[in-house]
Amino acid sequence: MHAASLVAPGVPARRDDIADRGFRWLVTGAAIFVLTALAGAAWSMFWDGRAAFAKFGLRFLWSQDWDPAAQQFGALVPIFGTAVTALIAVAIAVPVSFGIAMFLTEIAPRWMRGPVGAAIELLAAIPSIIYGMWGLFVLVPVLAEHVYPWVDAHMGQWPLVGALFAGPPLGLGMLTAGLVLAIMVVPFIASVMRDVFMTVPGRLKESSYALGSTRWEVVWDVVLPYTRSAVVGGIFLGLGRALGETMAVTFVLGNAHELSASLLMPGSSIAATIANEFAEADSAMYRSSLIALGFVLFLVTFVVLAAARLLLRQLEKREGRQ
Amino acid sequence: MTNLARNTGMNDTVYTSVATPHSPALAPVPKQKLSARGLGFWYGKQQAIRDVDLDIHERQVTALIGPSGCGKSTLLRTFNRIYALYPGQVARGEILLDGLDILTPDYPLALLRSKIGMVFQKPVPFPMTIFENVAYGIRHHERLSRADMQQRVEGALRQAALWDEVKDKLKQSALSLSGGQQQRLCIARAVALRPDVLLLDEPTSALDPISTSRVEQLIAELKRDYTIVIVTHNMQQAARVSDYTAFMYLGDLIEHGSTDIIFSNPIKQQTEDYITGRFG
Amino acid sequence: MSAWHYTLRDAKNALAHGFALLATAFGLFWLAWILWTTLHNGLAAIHPALFTQMTPPPGAAGGLRNALFGSVLMSLLGVLLGAPIGILAGTFLAEYARSSWLGGVVRFVNDILLSAPSIVLGLFVYTLVVARMGHFSALAGAISLAFIVLPVVVRTTDEMLRLVPAQMREAALSLGVPQWKVTAQVLYRAALPGIVTGILLALARISGETAPLLFTALNNQYWSTDLLAPMANVPVVIFQYAMSPYDDWHSLAWAGAFVLTLFVLLVGLAARAIVARHRISHD
Repeated sequence: MHAASLVAPGVPARRDDIADRGFRWLVTGAAIFVLTALAGAAWSMFWDGRAAFAKFGLRFLWSQDWDPAAQQFGALVPIFGTAVTALIAVAIAVPVSFGIAMFLTEIAPRWMRGPVGAAIELLAAIPSIIYGMWGLFVLVPVLAEHVYPWVDAHMGQWPLVGALFAGPPLGLGMLTAGLVLAIMVVPFIASVMRDVFMTVPGRLKESSYALGSTRWEVVWDVVLPYTRSAVVGGIFLGLGRALGETMAVTFVLGNAHELSASLLMPGSSIAATIANEFAEADSAMYRSSLIALGFVLFLVTFVVLAAARLLLRQLEKREGRQ
Repeated sequence: MTNLARNTGMNDTVYTSVATPHSPALAPVPKQKLSARGLGFWYGKQQAIRDVDLDIHERQVTALIGPSGCGKSTLLRTFNRIYALYPGQVARGEILLDGLDILTPDYPLALLRSKIGMVFQKPVPFPMTIFENVAYGIRHHERLSRADMQQRVEGALRQAALWDEVKDKLKQSALSLSGGQQQRLCIARAVALRPDVLLLDEPTSALDPISTSRVEQLIAELKRDYTIVIVTHNMQQAARVSDYTAFMYLGDLIEHGSTDIIFSNPIKQQTEDYITGRFG
Repeated sequence: MSAWHYTLRDAKNALAHGFALLATAFGLFWLAWILWTTLHNGLAAIHPALFTQMTPPPGAAGGLRNALFGSVLMSLLGVLLGAPIGILAGTFLAEYARSSWLGGVVRFVNDILLSAPSIVLGLFVYTLVVARMGHFSALAGAISLAFIVLPVVVRTTDEMLRLVPAQMREAALSLGVPQWKVTAQVLYRAALPGIVTGILLALARISGETAPLLFTALNNQYWSTDLLAPMANVPVVIFQYAMSPYDDWHSLAWAGAFVLTLFVLLVGLAARAIVARHRISHD
């Protein structure tokens, strides 16, 4: 009555078993490949950078030297530039992203939320080299001509922090790079915040409204505390992006190997230095130093992204439980 | 005449002098197609089924009823070892299909599943054409010529009372069918393998009343050829459709026997309480 | 409670509203400005010769033909190399390792790879391939792009497969079909729109990547189809030309930027369209 041609049920069944096992090995192998990709990247940069680490030791990290002719290299200026531009970017992007997320989840009428959200995400889709070009050809002249002279004249005169804003209005510099990075990073942080704000249970917000809270109070006192760790995770994600961004920064940072207190002055970042100088690196030590720089960047972004992941995971777990 | 005696057109009924619950002695007892013996089931550390002994009679409809969480679906899913997909789910004891224990690793899964088919609560047509949906399982087990395959598919669709509605659109996506049609397609897909047993896990709970009654009619026809076990949370459905009923509660098999008697004169108080709706 | 207390709360609320509106306008303002600039400068620089002539030396007229070809070739090759591994790894995560420790580790590492700076991946492939071979090559470029495609496809495949209802999996298995066939014939088909979307998104992303190509494929002034030689590509050409002091090179750079942006946006739209169409047919 059942399949008459199943004469020897053992044979096709065993073939299936072998195929199943083979497929399992295949997919497991692919998964392990993902692990080796990251491990390989880390290892290869460490290995090829070891000459620089061997020669300069830990001093590499805080040395200001950058003299290809004399084969003296130090990472301080690029590290400083990377850190400063990324911090400026995050400082600008976090409140802006928060405002956008609040707008998209609480204030905007429903018909507006889709299109505006899509438009913000469009910012993330634009290739970073476009940001770089626009930054160099459009933003820099505008800033150099109209904005920075004002900043230098007014904010540059403030006590204490004035030194940050004093300097010739070149247009290129750390502040410009920070601004461009901020615009690039806003969609990342904003979409994480928006997604996370939307996970707040409606009844939590409704009960707050029922007590007479204003919209702002609901967001600040209910939504934000509920999503706190995920929001921080999103910020870390944006920070990781800003730390590693190459092209947008390379165009507008200026590639100067001098430390300066003023944000209006050019500087250099790790990624920009590597991008600008790798093709012309004519000695093994030069190249090794650049790769060592890359390894430093890798370590820093790894820590930041790992922290972001862990923080975002916490919220995911809570959602799963509900 | 009880249900027990009605379906004795086959040569495989056995007369016995042993009185079985709810049937007088010397009545014909249908062959046991599927039997659970001392069956226990665990989800990890939690035991969901305790020491179940149950016979499923050949070419009869056996309904498993009970409140939510009683283990009826779990029990059903042991019969085709579909739980093996999930690590941590374990069955112990014996389940005999035609006398052979299917829980042992020796019994090949592919063979088991060609003998025992399953239809699920939510209609899940594969993202293929209607024809391909029905042919899919057959293709894996048998090599048929095109003409033979077409015959088989038509036969299965006829058995599922779906042929007339889809015969002109076999090449269309199965997702274009209505919910009731999709469920009948899933039934066709299962019977296409010509199994001995059909396991139906709440097959109509996601369907509208008209589709539900069509499927119930279908079950009445299908039992001529297949042994059917149906899990249902709808007691009226169990009473309408089944020849035998087993009532479960919190993992124990409380009572089982012919549907007529379970519903009119149950032995255990718990059964009566459930039947009369005292708890649900 | 005194009346001014409520006024204060209302004022704060109004301020917050205003700020949120401003922030959104702020974001949209930059988007509009960047897109407008690209459109304006790009359209001015578009001419048919773009697709027929090679990248020129400074002061000469030319096009982007070799760069366009190189980008298309390396992007497609990158997808061809990275997507299959990504699909398989995503299958592992969704079908074989939903709650195992290995699955957790792989997901974690994949997320890091997903957001890692692409310059890091470029350096990695440099040390892996370019340094070994002794020269830059289009193949190395494609490999570096493949490493960017990989985590994107892993993530989307994992998510899309997990969206397939468990009952479909069980229904196919209960027909006696083995696990691998169920995955290949039923699950992939069910998750296909999502997986294709993931691949399209990966394609859009790698099309605009410059940093990894700087260390692998570099650039080539001439037409080349040799996978083992440096190959021209749009992002690096844009980089080189934009940073130069020559006006005609600037103009070509804008043309390239325009074409690139258009391509990325179109691919993104296609990806969205697939998601939308799939969602409708399954309701």
